[in-house]
Amino acid sequence: MILELRNIEKSFGSKQVLTGVSFKAEGGKAFGLLGRNGAGKTTSIRILMNVFPADSGEVFIDGKPVDYSRVQIGYLPEERGLYPKKIIADQLAYFAELKGMSHKAAVKSVDGWLERLGMAEYRNKRLDTLSKGNQQKIQLVTALAHNPDIIILDEPFSGLDPVNAMLLKDVVKEQIAENKVVLFSSHQMSYIEEFCDSIAILNSGRVVLSGELHDIKRSYVRDRLIVRTEYPQKMKNDFGAECTELDNGSLLIRLASADEKQGMMKRLVDNYDIDEVKVFEPSLNDIFVEYAGGGAEKEDRQ
Amino acid sequence: MKQFGKILKFELKYYFKNKVFVGVTIFLVLLISVLMFLPRIVDVFSGNESKDTVAEEGGESPVLLVKAASPEEAETVKGLFETAFSGYDVQITEDSEWDIQEEILSESAECAFVFKNLTSYTYYVDNLSMYDSNTDIADSVLQNLYRMNKMIESGMSEEQAGEIIAVQIENNSVSLGKDQMQNYWYTYIMIFALYMVILLYGQMIATNVATEKSSRAMELLITSAKPVSMMFGKVIASCLAGFVQLIAVFGSAILFYTINKEQWADNMIVQSIFDMPVSLLAYMLIFFVLGFFIYAFLYGAIGSTASKLEDINTSVMPITMLFIIAFMVVMFSLASGNVDNALMKVCSYVPFTSSMAMFTRIAMSTVPWYEILISVAILIGSVAGIGVISAKIYRVGVLLYGTTPKIGSILKAVWRA
Repeated sequence: MILELRNIEKSFGSKQVLTGVSFKAEGGKAFGLLGRNGAGKTTSIRILMNVFPADSGEVFIDGKPVDYSRVQIGYLPEERGLYPKKIIADQLAYFAELKGMSHKAAVKSVDGWLERLGMAEYRNKRLDTLSKGNQQKIQLVTALAHNPDIIILDEPFSGLDPVNAMLLKDVVKEQIAENKVVLFSSHQMSYIEEFCDSIAILNSGRVVLSGELHDIKRSYVRDRLIVRTEYPQKMKNDFGAECTELDNGSLLIRLASADEKQGMMKRLVDNYDIDEVKVFEPSLNDIFVEYAGGGAEKEDRQ
Repeated sequence: MKQFGKILKFELKYYFKNKVFVGVTIFLVLLISVLMFLPRIVDVFSGNESKDTVAEEGGESPVLLVKAASPEEAETVKGLFETAFSGYDVQITEDSEWDIQEEILSESAECAFVFKNLTSYTYYVDNLSMYDSNTDIADSVLQNLYRMNKMIESGMSEEQAGEIIAVQIENNSVSLGKDQMQNYWYTYIMIFALYMVILLYGQMIATNVATEKSSRAMELLITSAKPVSMMFGKVIASCLAGFVQLIAVFGSAILFYTINKEQWADNMIVQSIFDMPVSLLAYMLIFFVLGFFIYAFLYGAIGSTASKLEDINTSVMPITMLFIIAFMVVMFSLASGNVDNALMKVCSYVPFTSSMAMFTRIAMSTVPWYEILISVAILIGSVAGIGVISAKIYRVGVLLYGTTPKIGSILKAVWRA
């Protein structure tokens, strides 16, 4: 399954929120939708989920305009919240039923997920008796219980301890393996980098960068090398200004052009005691700051 | 449609599992049962004594003092008053007016008539009750006495004069339309029930929607269900819950009344309430449901625009005021007895007031069928219209956080949506 947004425009009043937003997410891969606060991520997601229509542009599934009665979407909103005073299993089943499941199937699926997330003992408790992290896990069930084709996770890792984060990672990997479209929206670049094959960066309602993360990284001029060695001082003396030491103790060597890369690697391995040498690729964090840093931060949401 | 059914079921469960809802219903049923069994309970406590109350009252009758200019006049008045005021112990007094007042204040006498002559007197009583008819009785007795004396003076025999004075006019009223006396009480009760239910449930719906918004459950709901299904599901669920409550209260009232029918035989008001025609009950049903929907939708829409639960009370104020004004107009017209005045006629077509106004007119006067039909048609149309509009407000409103938005900006957003 391929989910595609084409040329989405949206304005609230006189404020243009999205301008020609297009991106494409494929089944069996995770997609990262990045952007600073107020860049238009939540608005894009809401249009994608048909909460309100776009002013122009369309959402496509496998090349055809989306039919919301046929496609199932699971959503973990950034603003977490369920009914605090209601029994957990009851409300989870209710949400699954709203998505079209029969009562029996909904209860069965909810119980399965509670078991999977280690929450089965809380099934008949009220939501507000749980800790924040456990409430997060309950919320995750609402996004997954109805077995959706598309899963949208908005800041899924915020508020989770490392053990629960690991559990969530496993669950997400399972979902990706089941060939589902998984769409991440997050500020935690390390997670995006770990999961997402392709990304789109939004800045002030425009897609400023999109594509395969691998290709994006490759597109940077490969004229820098990272070297790890036990004796950095010798290299520093030899290379002078071309060599800088990074925070982690590795050395970064600048080349005159990318063509010299092969020759330089050979020279380094032959002449120095080298533990590791590789071409420098910018981290997602670097890319994000470069592309998303420009827009003014706007907190106002619609 | 499937979604709507699920929302309805979920929301209904909310009411029937709500301890306050169940508690209030049980309390009301108990209250009604106590009220309906009251005559029986009173009988049990007073035992057989109730049968000879007359004899007992004779001993403890309140004292009515008479002071006249001459002993003859005093005797005449006493004789007449003893028959006219059968419940009182009529006594002649020679005390000064000052002493008489003291006696009344010290409660050794209940009231006093101090005569200047036989056509002029001062009536003394501790607290003048709204329903004190003693002066009316005294007036008619004294008028008769005066007329009698004058007639005898002008040469009539005592018998002739007595006949003239004692003449009785027979009257027999036949109401071709509605008997307002009989319909007043149950119309009053029904309008009041409508008022209470709409206000209570309206607030409940508004709070329910605002709770979903403030707990952010809305984020999920709005992406899972259509706003129209949400709105209609909530409103119809609360309507059904209100209905169940009304049926519980009125049903138990009717049941307990039937059990105690004999005990209530001499209470005209209670009897008139339970002798309500079935057709009126059907009208009640129609106007209750439609009126309820109009306000419930508005309350739901308003609830969706509030960000915090604390804002609800101020947000719903305009609707509550509108409703209270409608209620007041109907209540004043009902009390005045003229339910077909121009204002009521207008109100019986305006959807916000017609449920109460038209129902009152049907109950208390004769309304042509086509007027009822037009009013109901307008109501049904408005329910559909307001339902759809409030679902739109709901969809826009639930995603607005921060300060409560102005009505103008909401309407603009709804128009565009």
